[in-house]
Amino acid sequence: MASKADQFKNAFREEGREVLVDLEAALLELNDHHGDAELIGRVFRALHTLKGSGAMFGFEDMATFTHNLETAFDEVRNGRLAVTSELIDLTLSALDQIRAMLEEGEAGAPPADPAACTEILTKVRHLTGKPEKHFIMKSSAPAKTDSGDAPGAEPATATGPVREWLIRFAPGADFLLTGANPLLLLRELGQLGGLAVKASMAALPPLDELDPERCYISWEMVLSTAAGCDAIRDVFIFVEESCELTIETLAASSESISASIADRKDAVSMNAADLTARALEDRRENRGGRRSYDAPDNASSLRVPAAKLDQFVDLVGELVTVQARLSEIAQQHDDPEMAAVSEEIERLTASLRENSMNIRMMPIRATFEKFRRLVHDLARDLGKNVELTIEGAETELDKTVIDQLSDPLMHLIRNSMDHGIEPPEARIKRGKKPIATIHLSARHSGASVLIAVSDDGGGINAEAVRNRAIERGLTTGDAQLTESEIFSFIFQPGFSTAAQVTDVSGRGVGMDVVRQRVDSLRGSIDVASKSGLGTTVTLRLPLTLAIIDGLLVTIGDAFFVLPLANILECIELTRAGIEAANGKHIANVRGEIVPYIRLREHFNIGTPRPEIEQIMIVQTEQGRYGFVVDRVLGDCQTVIKNLGRFYRHVQLVSGATILGDGTVALILDPERLVQDAVRAVLQRTRGRPGAAGGGNRLPPDRSSVKRDANFVSSGPAAGASPQ
Amino acid sequence: MAVALEESGSLNVLRLEGGIDIASAAELKELLVKALEPGKELRVALGGVTDLDVTAVQLLWAARQKACAAGVGFTFTDSLPEALLGTLNQAGFQSSLFFENNS
Repeated sequence: MASKADQFKNAFREEGREVLVDLEAALLELNDHHGDAELIGRVFRALHTLKGSGAMFGFEDMATFTHNLETAFDEVRNGRLAVTSELIDLTLSALDQIRAMLEEGEAGAPPADPAACTEILTKVRHLTGKPEKHFIMKSSAPAKTDSGDAPGAEPATATGPVREWLIRFAPGADFLLTGANPLLLLRELGQLGGLAVKASMAALPPLDELDPERCYISWEMVLSTAAGCDAIRDVFIFVEESCELTIETLAASSESISASIADRKDAVSMNAADLTARALEDRRENRGGRRSYDAPDNASSLRVPAAKLDQFVDLVGELVTVQARLSEIAQQHDDPEMAAVSEEIERLTASLRENSMNIRMMPIRATFEKFRRLVHDLARDLGKNVELTIEGAETELDKTVIDQLSDPLMHLIRNSMDHGIEPPEARIKRGKKPIATIHLSARHSGASVLIAVSDDGGGINAEAVRNRAIERGLTTGDAQLTESEIFSFIFQPGFSTAAQVTDVSGRGVGMDVVRQRVDSLRGSIDVASKSGLGTTVTLRLPLTLAIIDGLLVTIGDAFFVLPLANILECIELTRAGIEAANGKHIANVRGEIVPYIRLREHFNIGTPRPEIEQIMIVQTEQGRYGFVVDRVLGDCQTVIKNLGRFYRHVQLVSGATILGDGTVALILDPERLVQDAVRAVLQRTRGRPGAAGGGNRLPPDRSSVKRDANFVSSGPAAGASPQ
Repeated sequence: MAVALEESGSLNVLRLEGGIDIASAAELKELLVKALEPGKELRVALGGVTDLDVTAVQLLWAARQKACAAGVGFTFTDSLPEALLGTLNQAGFQSSLFFENNS
């Protein structure tokens, strides 16, 4: 089990990561708006947070390194240093080193590069003209309390007249449990100037009643410094919510305070701190009201480890399964009381399920925002002007899905930047704006979320892709392929039309990774591209990977679940209907022709089919399709269980679920089923001129399907396999 | 960090070593309560202490108050490292007064 110190470190790591994301976003925004005071303040606060809490949680190197950057941005804040692209690039490089220091000790994290750190600091010093604080220094010796000249720690705002501040600091009950250390705060405060401190033990209970992990001590201090109220408050920036803090300026000069203290030196029983405290009391009496920043007792949000949340969702999943069993048993017993309880539990379980899933939902903003840096760096390296625009950053999806999105999006953006977007000169020649745009967007669509990466570059050359596919034997020269089919080749392993392999892309690896990751998330990819105008790659991903609403159906003795979100309606399929369609796999749904797939035959289920079957009409990427099943049993909350490694290559099934009576039902993937059926048809009909002519919507005619075991016709003889 | 209580006759010795912080606070309190027995002197040996946080200061302060009130002998043996005394002074604890043996 991790020690308390490790727990605090890990908690800080998580917070630090968020601060770094915000810092990076602020820096990139500042790059476009050099004079924006609010952004400068945001950068400064982020650096200050990293420095202050870094030191507090034992990241001494990080704190010292960051201190130098903080000093630079303090100069910027005070108008003594201008924001330049050089400063921003330098700070971005520093940020990478800070990230490495933050992740130090974590598995797989690259260590910080001392040489790079030194170089960055030298350049920073060159810009600011200030001496650097050596970043590998371990601050073990206590800072001086009587002056602001602690080693390497020049006061952050050491200009203007020296004033005296009365500071009262009372840590809250849970202050120490957050990992905060008051002694380090006082040390940092001492770096701002001359500090007289009095610790008060007045609130300390008798030993037997004392909670050993609570801080009962409060402090009163007089600080002589040129720093302003904000700089003093910044010292307490991370603990302000868990302590009582008042800061007020003392109008009197330092001499009068000292005199006041000196007057009392004759009081033998008092130590120097008591004397200071008396002097402070006198001042307070004269000052009147004071500002109080009472921290609220209840935090508005909690930070919970993701693993605990996963465990919670797993337990809810188990509960849903058990509840289904209870409902099943209640149905078998003609007991109204039991039925009422079962219904109530069903209602509560559904509500609990919805709530637990909501907890895991996160906006995609952080994932999107972090690509600003990638675009900035790549644009610089490739000599292109690219602007990243973001839309729908507030769109929420399951944390598990978000966690796996970074890689595919990164590959798509790299590909767009390298191959899609033209150099500025070429863009101007084509009558385009020299600044290209990459647009990241997210929006909900039913139970899916659509994430699109668009660029206004040169588009994909369909002919080049097709030729490359023929060269690699992925298709034949006479195959009639739709544009969408041609574009889908770019996701094949090792497929690249790039003449040159660059550092960024061209090895034909990235897009393969995209496909694999999207497949593992049970998503799908759609590519749309117009030559000369740009490309849009859209990822359709499920909102969640844990529990879905499904429709339970049977074919023979087997149970299957179809995601309810895909299902439009159910209609009956009678023998008369089959005959009316001349045995073709098509149904007439209020005048619309809908092709259908007989799941019994697709899965080779050898039981006799009933007189009347059901067609479930589903909406897929490729249009409306019908799935023919024996019976529809009703809706069910479906806890998705992984099929395990052994069945990981089974594409048509996205998982399994356990029904109330313990039976296992396979969860079907409608998109894959349709793709699989269409592919089977195309494979059979390819080569016959005009047979598949762009028509991947309709199933084959009777003569062609007779040859295929998986997609047989619905004629009277078909499917009537012997028992 | 290590906190150990040695009991013998009319003397209890509480030996503190390493960094004494919130992680050892509960244990330190338990040992202090146990060590403060009527009629027995308590010596707290600080020689091996490398760091001391506010939880430890609070507990030692409260223990000393309790000993005073009960008329139990309470002394510190060995002294804290200079750097640590400096940190405590800086935090307004007047450690030289607190940790001297005047009770």
